[in-house]
Amino acid sequence: MHKKQGGVGLFFDTGHFPGAPEYNLYILTQNGIFERNMIRQAILILVISVVAGGLANTFSPNRIPYIGQYRQLTGGEGIVKPPEAQAGDPPFMDLTTAQVEFGAHSSLFVDARVRDEFECGTIPGAINIPFEDLPEEHVDTYLDSALNHAGKDTPLIAFCSGEECDASLHLGRNLALYGYTHVSIFFGGAREWEKAGLDMERRKQCGK
Amino acid sequence: MRKIIDHDLLTLLSRILIGGMFVYASFYKIIEPGSFAKSIWYYHLVPGDLINLMAIILPWVELLVGLALVVGLAYRGAVLWANLMLVMFIVALLSTIARGINIDCGCFQAAASGTHSAWWSLLFDIGAMALTVQLWLSSSRRWMLGRA
Repeated sequence: MHKKQGGVGLFFDTGHFPGAPEYNLYILTQNGIFERNMIRQAILILVISVVAGGLANTFSPNRIPYIGQYRQLTGGEGIVKPPEAQAGDPPFMDLTTAQVEFGAHSSLFVDARVRDEFECGTIPGAINIPFEDLPEEHVDTYLDSALNHAGKDTPLIAFCSGEECDASLHLGRNLALYGYTHVSIFFGGAREWEKAGLDMERRKQCGK
Repeated sequence: MRKIIDHDLLTLLSRILIGGMFVYASFYKIIEPGSFAKSIWYYHLVPGDLINLMAIILPWVELLVGLALVVGLAYRGAVLWANLMLVMFIVALLSTIARGINIDCGCFQAAASGTHSAWWSLLFDIGAMALTVQLWLSSSRRWMLGRA
């Protein structure tokens, strides 16, 4: 290792660049794990990408704000809401409330995921209405049948996998749209439920 | 072993496979940065303020790295990026498996609540990583436009 003075860097050995002055980008090796060229070219690629990405996003019809508004994982603290939640959406409920409703048997849990995921593990007693399978027409009849003709005032709690999934939001919106008056969304979903060590109903064994 | 790693044809094949993969993977992300941003969000690894910036810049890095690998311009820089990105993808996938987050990887199309196991994406990325490591170690510089 050659001695170096000042500067910060990754690793250092200027020995591979004969004649090079003390160099601030440090390179470890025998032959240089990071060659100087490599880092220079990588920076060049990044700079071009920043410029190209910025320009493309400025002129793209699908442009997005440079700084987005996103929520971090809450880890089950409080009510979990999706970033795209809007005023007028059904209310969101936290894990504790979901547990209370579950214990009281006062609500019908509705799993909005596809059949396969539902069968891999769901909240016990939940019924499955995959949002993806909602028909284009006669949604009202479909929901009524899927809910076993439960009254429109039956308290319904829609959920799906968890924060990474928005099927519960969309199903919840549809339930409310088609006249169900007591719809809530447990957005923490099956993952938050399972993570809290609560019972899961599994219809088949699935690998993670 | 050295002979295999330095093999000109093998190196070219790796460049085309990995380069093509990155170019292909960049398309949907460049066209729909919003969907890609959401895919990043699903992983819950990147601070919220940085998600959109990442969604705007990363696809272009993928595109340029892919092209650079195939044509052999700024080649060593592209090899460094290819390795960095694959390490990043593998760590991200491992973290979703460890945390039990069930999502598609968002690698080639927008991630959704997943029906696919992250293990398959992980295996794919590890396979790709083997090729990028070979590119890193290979001293072959044949069939390249630039002087690496």
